[in-house]
Amino acid sequence: MFLINCPYCGERDQSEFSAGGEAHIIRPKQPTELSDDQWAEFLFMRKNIKGVQLERWNHAHGCRKWFNMVRDTSNDKIHAVYKMGEKPPIK
Amino acid sequence: MLNYNSPINDQKEYSEIRITEVEPIIKLNLRGKKRDFMTKIGKELSIIPPSDPNTSSGNEKFNILWLSPDEWILYSNDKSDLNNTNFLEEKLFNEVSKSKIGSITNVSDHWTMLNIKGKNTFDLLSTGCPFNFNDFKNTKGAVAQTLVNHIDVIIHNKDLNNLNLFVRRSFANHLWSWLNDSSRFF
Amino acid sequence: MSKNLRITNDKFIDQTSRISFKFDGKTLYGFKGDTLASALLANNIHLVGRSFKYHRPRGIMTCGSEEPNAIVQVGNDASMTEPNTRATEIELYEGLVASSQNCWPSVNFDVGAVNNFFSPLIPAAFYYKTFMWPASFWEKYEYFIRKSAGLGRSPTEPDKDFYDHRYLHCDVLVIGGGISGIIAAKTAAQNNLNTVLIDDKNKLGGTTLFQQNECFKINNTYSSEWLKKEIESLNLLQNLTIKTRTTLAAYHSYNYLLARENLTDHLSLSEKQNKVRQRLWKIRAKKVIISTGAMERPLIFNNNDRPGIILSSSIKKYIDYFGVKCGQKLSLFTNNDSAYETAVSLNKSGVTVNSVIDIRDKTDSLIVRQAERLGIKIYWKHTVVNTSGYKRINSIDIMKLSDDGNEVVGKKFSEDCDCLGISGGWTPRVHLFTQSGGKLKFKDKDNVFLPDKSELEQISIGSCNGDFELDSIIKNSVESINKFLNINNNDYKNLEIVCSKELDKKNIWLLPSDKPLGKTKPFLDFQNDSTASDVKLALREGFKSIEHVKRYTTTGMGTDQGKLSNMHALGIIAETAGVKMGELGTTTFRPPYTPLTFGTIVGRNVGEFFDIIRKTPIHDWHEENKAEFENVGQWKRAWYYPKKNESMHEAVQRESKAARDSAGMLDASTLGKIDIQGSDASEFLNRVYTNAWSKLEIGKCRYGLMLNEDGMVYDDGVTTRLGENHYIMTTTTGGAANVLSKLEDYLQTEWPELDVYLTSVTDQYATVSICGPNSKKILSKVIPDLDLSDKEFPHMSFKNASINNVKCRVMRISFTGEHSYEINIQSSYGKSVWEKCFEAGKEFNITPYGTETMHLLRAEKGFIITGQDTDGTMTPVDLQMDWIISKKKYDFIGKRSLYRSDTIRDDRKQLVGLITDDPKEVLEEGAQIVSETNKQPVEMLGHVTSSYFSPNLNKSIALAVVKNGKKLKGHKMFVPMKNKTINVTITDTVFLDKDNKRLNA
Ligand SMILES: [Zn+2]
Repeated sequence: MFLINCPYCGERDQSEFSAGGEAHIIRPKQPTELSDDQWAEFLFMRKNIKGVQLERWNHAHGCRKWFNMVRDTSNDKIHAVYKMGEKPPIK
Repeated sequence: MLNYNSPINDQKEYSEIRITEVEPIIKLNLRGKKRDFMTKIGKELSIIPPSDPNTSSGNEKFNILWLSPDEWILYSNDKSDLNNTNFLEEKLFNEVSKSKIGSITNVSDHWTMLNIKGKNTFDLLSTGCPFNFNDFKNTKGAVAQTLVNHIDVIIHNKDLNNLNLFVRRSFANHLWSWLNDSSRFF
Repeated sequence: MSKNLRITNDKFIDQTSRISFKFDGKTLYGFKGDTLASALLANNIHLVGRSFKYHRPRGIMTCGSEEPNAIVQVGNDASMTEPNTRATEIELYEGLVASSQNCWPSVNFDVGAVNNFFSPLIPAAFYYKTFMWPASFWEKYEYFIRKSAGLGRSPTEPDKDFYDHRYLHCDVLVIGGGISGIIAAKTAAQNNLNTVLIDDKNKLGGTTLFQQNECFKINNTYSSEWLKKEIESLNLLQNLTIKTRTTLAAYHSYNYLLARENLTDHLSLSEKQNKVRQRLWKIRAKKVIISTGAMERPLIFNNNDRPGIILSSSIKKYIDYFGVKCGQKLSLFTNNDSAYETAVSLNKSGVTVNSVIDIRDKTDSLIVRQAERLGIKIYWKHTVVNTSGYKRINSIDIMKLSDDGNEVVGKKFSEDCDCLGISGGWTPRVHLFTQSGGKLKFKDKDNVFLPDKSELEQISIGSCNGDFELDSIIKNSVESINKFLNINNNDYKNLEIVCSKELDKKNIWLLPSDKPLGKTKPFLDFQNDSTASDVKLALREGFKSIEHVKRYTTTGMGTDQGKLSNMHALGIIAETAGVKMGELGTTTFRPPYTPLTFGTIVGRNVGEFFDIIRKTPIHDWHEENKAEFENVGQWKRAWYYPKKNESMHEAVQRESKAARDSAGMLDASTLGKIDIQGSDASEFLNRVYTNAWSKLEIGKCRYGLMLNEDGMVYDDGVTTRLGENHYIMTTTTGGAANVLSKLEDYLQTEWPELDVYLTSVTDQYATVSICGPNSKKILSKVIPDLDLSDKEFPHMSFKNASINNVKCRVMRISFTGEHSYEINIQSSYGKSVWEKCFEAGKEFNITPYGTETMHLLRAEKGFIITGQDTDGTMTPVDLQMDWIISKKKYDFIGKRSLYRSDTIRDDRKQLVGLITDDPKEVLEEGAQIVSETNKQPVEMLGHVTSSYFSPNLNKSIALAVVKNGKKLKGHKMFVPMKNKTINVTITDTVFLDKDNKRLNA
């Protein structure tokens, strides 16, 4: 069970959060201009790295805000959390 | 006449724990990001919504609890009649929502408020709540949104070993039974 | 107590309070403070079980949680019995009933023991190899294996005991209350840190607590006396919480730990009543100090498993702590100094010690000299090559070791004994450290794995960190604690410590015998009956990884996780394979450290608290009116309201007919409701729904379909425009939370520029839905001043109204195809309004209906239920709902996916109606649909999603998804069932009132 530092509420138990997959996948502004392959790239392709990964998390049972996390999937260490719209802090 | 039915309408005492359903009181959900929103609320209620996380502000009549950077819940200290709710809701709705600086939503019946009191209050919560109350319990006015027995709650620290706990109405009955069941062992 | 095996010892055992208990049906006596094991030993009972594979007699071997043999069943009540508990950990109480496991019909005469005579035929992986073929025979084998394997009995009735859970947050958690743990806890608490100290025993102090030997002194008193004063001083510390009888079960990342506190297991049957039996502590600690000590290893030699063979340190605890002699005539067999402490203790208590057999060359430490002074015979450089005695050891064979230790030399001689103490050195308890993800290092000198690197805020101190001498334990512990807590505690700096130091070490993982290995039984894993020969066989057969050897031989896979002799297994593997132990590594220790009962894991989430229950504000009325309930997500929804003797089918037919003939009413309060405000509210709806919203007039309602980005239908519902920038959205009951979360996600991450605020109001409103041709008349009685004319209040519109001065919102919308209204009123008045409508409707035979009738009525109209008729693979086009996709909107969630090459295929599965040839035949939901019956394999074209007998049409109707279904209208299909094939025809999805006349009836 992680202890996650919500950028708004502070340290909370993992049970208050839900995970939302890979971060920084921006929804295309003009989907109609895209080929099937380009759209599929946005829709389906996710990295799922062993190692340091950027992820989206939601403080679902707290402030309900989405934020990003730098997490090492090999040892579950959370290196940093940062707000939506912010650049990932360098590891 | 329509009958008013609250989900619990009861009070129970255990060893150093007293649990009571408090109703009816006004509860409004406030949302806004703009500075105008803060000023307007402050002007209307003489309380500014707190901008520090996990805190509250209040006066004799009302409390405003921080829920998120753009969301607060307001509740009244006194039990009050329906007309007051309507009046306050309408007034704020006109000032805020219609002026496009935020939103005002009546959640008086969405949330059920329980008061838990007594020396064993925090031990009772620790039977099903992962939140760390070590600092919270000594901080009057502190606010926590967390889970108790997997149910979402908002907890407002009123005083030493005296807190108000908000739970969504449909869960209130279940949480009430669960809290009572837990209290047997104190 | 036949033989006098008790000595006077009142320090820890209350010899004035006698306790009676039953073991294997026999009434026995012990004293308060005994464990089941110490009481059995005092009664001269060693034989307590049979081994797993060979059913060899086995006795108590240890005094703690690592016990592999003395695994007993406690309690004899169908609901209270608990298998696989360790006799060494059960505190004796009045009325305790325990029995041996893994033996049938009794521990003294066991049928399975024939396995022992055939044991050369049962090598490693015997079960895997033999019972694999033919597969169909497995059922038969399994029956016999299970019966004779007997891993205890499970309770057959629900557990009557109470269990609960507590969360605990602390600055420092100290695990283990031995000498180093006590120093750590005291130091932390004195420095204003909120500290918790836990220990699995009922008293703090570890082994030092009963160390009364001149060779171990602190400040001129016995180390035990010094420690007692330290323990007493803990009581004065405000910041310290001490939990005894508490076992640390699991150590997870982020210093999240689970500990099981035993609250009533030591109490008499009457004292246990109405108390929480065990509590699971969920601990979040800023810092963790592990001081779990070390455990003694056995020695691996021929027939090292007989009852009466006990770890030497356990014999010491039984005599020094419990006052119990494990025998009258003992021999000790060792490779290190600690057996001499046992020899001295026994000698002082008047027990005959035959000899100490030591594999080392003569050594000369303080404790060895003390033993020699007491006249104890020592055989240096000797080994035990065999033992005798079937149900209890009665003699040992001894031989001299060769210089290299690989073989025995000289003449074999015997020594009679009724108990053999064995000591193979010490293994630091690093289990918790490895559970937490820590990496180990191997220390060649001591042949131990020690904590190395950890990512967490933790340290290991004392013997679990490899310190085995009293002075270094204290000195190094204090140093590490100071550094870890960043403090400077000098309290322990000037202690005057005397202790015997071990001068010589020698380790032989597998001791030689005068017989070849194949003819001997040197047991490694006592619980799972695997021997050194099994491990060697596995290596010969080509297994290299220790994890594979472990599984192949089952070494270390018992309930004790092979705590005792894991190291020997690794040692033998390393030696045989010719690699260094440090390179070989170890197997993984997994939580829990000792087994937990299911009751403890589940806590209070049983019975009515098994799952969360949500109730609507009208719930009590449904209950009073005998509704049957259906679970929809966490909600309890009224399913149908059976009248006297009515079956579900009859009730649903009656309800469905009444709703169309006159009037019905439904509690729709569970639908998700989201209040939407903000100047971009309309634009927001345009983006999340497939249809257009900007032109919806204030006061009008519209049905919307929400897709995922992949184009598949996600949720649906009616949204009403309450004001210029104000909407209220309804979602499905089950989808409410997910829809809100998804919409918040888009607002926060993709469209932060939109001025929109969402607030859940699901629980704020009760929703009473009235439908049927008489609904208008009924509503006009409830709200007389509301103009209900079609012109003023047409279908798909809403009005603000009030009932007895309570404001409410009335929507004219319909999920049944009937003329109908939904009254939304604040929840506290929901039940009252429901009753008012029911009263007003009585003259029209208004009939409350539940979810089943609602499903039937909407199916007659071909309205979908997301999640029933859709399954995450249906686009709106597949549902034949092309009309709801706006052609004008540039974008909405999922739009682009609607013209991917896959989603525009013609032959996708599409929603259709089905009519059975026999109108009485009702299809089964989920049944497969095929176009021909005599081809094999037959192609599954689709399946039935909804199916009912419609009382209004007097025939069976169904919705289904069928490949290319749109084009197959009118085609005959088949639904093959187990005993018959049902003929069906594909139709339109709307079965009733195709031109929607009833909406305005
Ligand atoms: Zn938060």
